Amino acid sequence: MKIKKDEVGWLLLFIAPTLILFALFFILPILFLLASSFTNWDGIDAEFVGFENYIKLFNKKSFIRAITNNLYWCITAAIITVPLALIIALLLSHRSRGWKVFRTVLFVPQVVSSAAIAMLWAAVFNAEYGLLNFILDNIGLSDYKNHNWLGNVRTANAALIGFSLCYVGYFMVIMLAKTASISEDYYDAANIDGASQIQKDLYITAPIIKSTFFLCVILAVIFNLRQFEYVYLMTAGGPANKTQVLVVYIWNELTVQRLGRGSAAGVIMIALGAMLLLLLRRLLKSETYN
Amino acid sequence: MFMFKNKIGGIMIKLILKKLSITFIAISFTIISSVASAEITITWPSIWVGKDSKTTVIGELIDEFNAANAGSIKVVVEEQTDYDIYAQKLTAQIATGELPDIMTVGAQLLDVLHRSGKAMDLAPHINSDPHWNNVYPENALQSAMTDGVLSALPYELFVTPVTYNKKILKEAGYDKFPDNYDDFFKMCEAITANGKVCTSQMTGKNGWTSMLWYSQALASAGGPDIYEKGLDDPAYVKAFEVMEKMYQYTTSDAIGADAGVSGGHFLNERTAVFMNGPWFIARYTSDGIPGLHENIGVAAAPMLMGGEGSPGGYVGGRQSSLAAGKQSDPAKEAAIVKFLKWLTIPENVARLSYSSGAMFIVNADLPNDMDRLFIEMKQGISDAPYVAPIFQNGIGSLAVASEFPQALSALALGDVTPEGAVEMLQDAE
Repeated sequence: MKIKKDEVGWLLLFIAPTLILFALFFILPILFLLASSFTNWDGIDAEFVGFENYIKLFNKKSFIRAITNNLYWCITAAIITVPLALIIALLLSHRSRGWKVFRTVLFVPQVVSSAAIAMLWAAVFNAEYGLLNFILDNIGLSDYKNHNWLGNVRTANAALIGFSLCYVGYFMVIMLAKTASISEDYYDAANIDGASQIQKDLYITAPIIKSTFFLCVILAVIFNLRQFEYVYLMTAGGPANKTQVLVVYIWNELTVQRLGRGSAAGVIMIALGAMLLLLLRRLLKSETYN
Repeated sequence: MFMFKNKIGGIMIKLILKKLSITFIAISFTIISSVASAEITITWPSIWVGKDSKTTVIGELIDEFNAANAGSIKVVVEEQTDYDIYAQKLTAQIATGELPDIMTVGAQLLDVLHRSGKAMDLAPHINSDPHWNNVYPENALQSAMTDGVLSALPYELFVTPVTYNKKILKEAGYDKFPDNYDDFFKMCEAITANGKVCTSQMTGKNGWTSMLWYSQALASAGGPDIYEKGLDDPAYVKAFEVMEKMYQYTTSDAIGADAGVSGGHFLNERTAVFMNGPWFIARYTSDGIPGLHENIGVAAAPMLMGGEGSPGGYVGGRQSSLAAGKQSDPAKEAAIVKFLKWLTIPENVARLSYSSGAMFIVNADLPNDMDRLFIEMKQGISDAPYVAPIFQNGIGSLAVASEFPQALSALALGDVTPEGAVEMLQDAE
């Protein structure tokens, strides 16, 4: 659609509030973040230090670990959480008896405070009196009687990510909503052809909701790149920095008054997010979900 | 017709203006009268709430102060139940310059608070009124000043001797707490053989309990001036060697545990030995299993053989200080100072100390029936050859102190050696 010359003024006027707010609350803070990342700002004084913050960050094992863990969270979300949500959505789309109950139960974590859920799961994983160890012990796995799931290098990340699966309901609901919009004609035609339920799921439902699936993958990656509360509340990046993620790392830098270095970590995180999104767009072929 | 409309319009405008003027005058009078009689509200985000042993008496003191100053000053508490989150919030507030009216500041934040220049300078109030000079020990206030500025009023003191469960030790064949680490670990072995756990440890949050043990071992290995020697001193490695062994005799949930979990084990007689400040004394009775308080003994921490520390040496120092945000309103500043003075009246301090077991810098006549553990700790301080700072305060770097729990958990899990743990601390700088 061509914009007429006399319409430009009106257009600018209408988008001005959005542009101003966007600049004020998004562009300006990013510019401030970028500028402060080149200083040793401690909340009181600041001096220009060039790339020192970036060099120090990339020389820190715990920072590299934070990036790796974030990627681990993103990949897990893309290849486990969202596909699991897809499977559940396909199953629930059959509208079998009690499907609404399952849908509600799976969606409940979204409406409960994540802090409360994290505390609950920290108790479940507790080595001394946790429910998980109690169950494992009672089914004969006595080696796990006092296993410290969140305090063990080998199991801390897995326990955290396992817990995060309880948020599968969010993506499930998005995909389920899409299945509701599929015309019944396709299924009627498939029924006439004698297609089984699995064949209908694989050859009708799945291809139609592909674009929504890709959207969920992108959302999941973005959410997990910003991962903070579960890690902060359950392990605070420990033990031995093994579950460290970028936002917790930035938070830690701020609490020790290294705001300049925290800003540098923030800039790296934004760059990483942008790269991941570009990569995903390329991999998932943007036209299919736009 | 037009004339008529104009006339009506004029009357309407006059009426509206008249009503607006009356409303304006009424509002102005309301504002002026409310400002004239305004009650000054002082906000205090306090950590002495919830399960804290000082909660009851602090609440009473605030209520009494508010009653005595009804209509003119009102102190409002914002409950902050998590000490670490409180410190983090304060750090952010110092950076943004949005300090609360009153705050309790840990020793590690005093320097930052002073440098920020956002805290109320209490030095002029010391000179203008003899109250604080009368109630504080000589030089206590002067030594807390930097360049003649008093950004925080020293308030709570602490030492962290070992507290141990005499019953569990006796069952393991020990009547006396060992005075060196070789004997201490033999005792731990005996306690473990008896089906109990020797020590309460933690790496969650700031690793408080374990950090106190580390501080004790550090002062024992390198002497009370260890922090002046820097992280290259071998004492830091030796102290981590002690901690490495200590984690062989602790609960399975120690890694990642917070102070509630670590203290809870001792309160429930699941562990035999625990280290914390005197403020925990009241909780042995209020939260411990029945009879726990009677079974508790107090001792100086064990010594490292061949170390530079001295037997009976304690760690401790200044705990919480009272500070206030800079005020532009002299009336509010005066109200804040009045409340701070109220908190430092010797009788009020004695009440706080009596109920919680906490120690304060203010000279207060304590009752004769103070808790036995408090008296034993006080005695320990007077007998101690030194009271060295704890690691968190002595090391002089928020970043290193914050990395300590991670280094300790790495050590406890066998991920790094004691030398590696020190390297993690050095890397945090």
